[in-house]
Amino acid sequence: MNLKDPGSMTAVVGSVLRYGVLISAVIIVFGTLDLIAASGSADALGSIAYNPDRIPHGNFDVSLSGLVSGLIALQPYSLIELGAIVLIATPVSRVLISVFLFAAEGDKLYMVVTAVVLCLLLFSLLVTPFIPGFQA
Amino acid sequence: MVIIEFLLILFITSIFAGIFGSIVGVGGGVVIIPVLTLFLGVDIHFAIGASIVAIIGTSSGAATTYVKDKLTNLRVGMFLELATVAGAICGAAIAAYINSVALELIFGSILLIMLVPTVLKIGEDIPKSPDLKGLSKRLGLTGSYTETDGAIINYNATRPAAGLVWMAVAGILSGLLGIGGGAFKVLSMDLAMKLPMKVSTTTSNFMIGVTAAASAGIYFARGDVNPLIIAPVALGILIGAMIGARLLIRSRNPTIRKAFALVLAVTAVQMILSSAGIKL
Repeated sequence: MNLKDPGSMTAVVGSVLRYGVLISAVIIVFGTLDLIAASGSADALGSIAYNPDRIPHGNFDVSLSGLVSGLIALQPYSLIELGAIVLIATPVSRVLISVFLFAAEGDKLYMVVTAVVLCLLLFSLLVTPFIPGFQA
Repeated sequence: MVIIEFLLILFITSIFAGIFGSIVGVGGGVVIIPVLTLFLGVDIHFAIGASIVAIIGTSSGAATTYVKDKLTNLRVGMFLELATVAGAICGAAIAAYINSVALELIFGSILLIMLVPTVLKIGEDIPKSPDLKGLSKRLGLTGSYTETDGAIINYNATRPAAGLVWMAVAGILSGLLGIGGGAFKVLSMDLAMKLPMKVSTTTSNFMIGVTAAASAGIYFARGDVNPLIIAPVALGILIGAMIGARLLIRSRNPTIRKAFALVLAVTAVQMILSSAGIKL
């Protein structure tokens, strides 16, 4: 991979998207098969109950520690959540690589524009969930 | 309804949503949300959480093809994404203090009105490209792609400032309501910036993924991203988006615009009905 060649950078963008999507899909397929094996014939209603008065709203853990312990135990919900996280990471990585793509083209203006977009994106994705005003 | 039925219905619905969404540059929420809320009895908040995952899936699933065929205009997308992401953060920040009923009515009506210029342009194949001048020239908002008949189509964008304002609106809207951003993005590039329809929808396809990823953290933390719902949605939408992307490559601009006009009309009606208390 040559960081100074726009052609090879575009190929990198393509591979990241392809593998990101593939890895995410494989993890979600495993989680779903796991779920069907464990409770495929159970009623769906209990799993889609929405509780407006508390956070999290659903009957599933969204904490990082819960995710990690669930993954170690190969819990179906944790696997699916991991797959979703990989999927969410694909557009983020695409923006990150685009910073290098524009750098390779010698396009300083768009290198800066893309870097600003990346900062706003990471702030919104990772920081705003912890700001109370955003928890509407 | 047992879980396996629930998964199957959502999986099949999502394939269709992915095909449609990837062609017209929207996230597929327009198809998935009504099926979830009306047919499967899922709460609207879970439906919007699923829609966020669907948007990212549509974007990344189709992008593999669009990147290879160089349809997406990355400069136009990144420049406009400045306004969209900033708008989405502002929208999320004020969501708790805003009356979403009035908003949905206003935005739904705007989309409905925008159906007129969209339908008037319905037969347009390749737009007459304006000269590259002013801000568009300084920002390098130009590009080219290969049409189905092998012709190389060169195009320039016009009125980038107007496009930017539209995008800020699209961003605030996605931040506030979690839906409807894609239609505004396509309209902005099609009507304001006069890009070829394919370039507008594929560039919107790139942008909606970034905007949805920006708000994904909040929906995750709230517990609105329900694994039972998003698993079949993500898988179906990825398959659909890969099919849709291949269809778009082989379609001409008038066909894509017709599909977009249909999605635009349905989205507008959904928003207006939703403001009247009918959550579709």
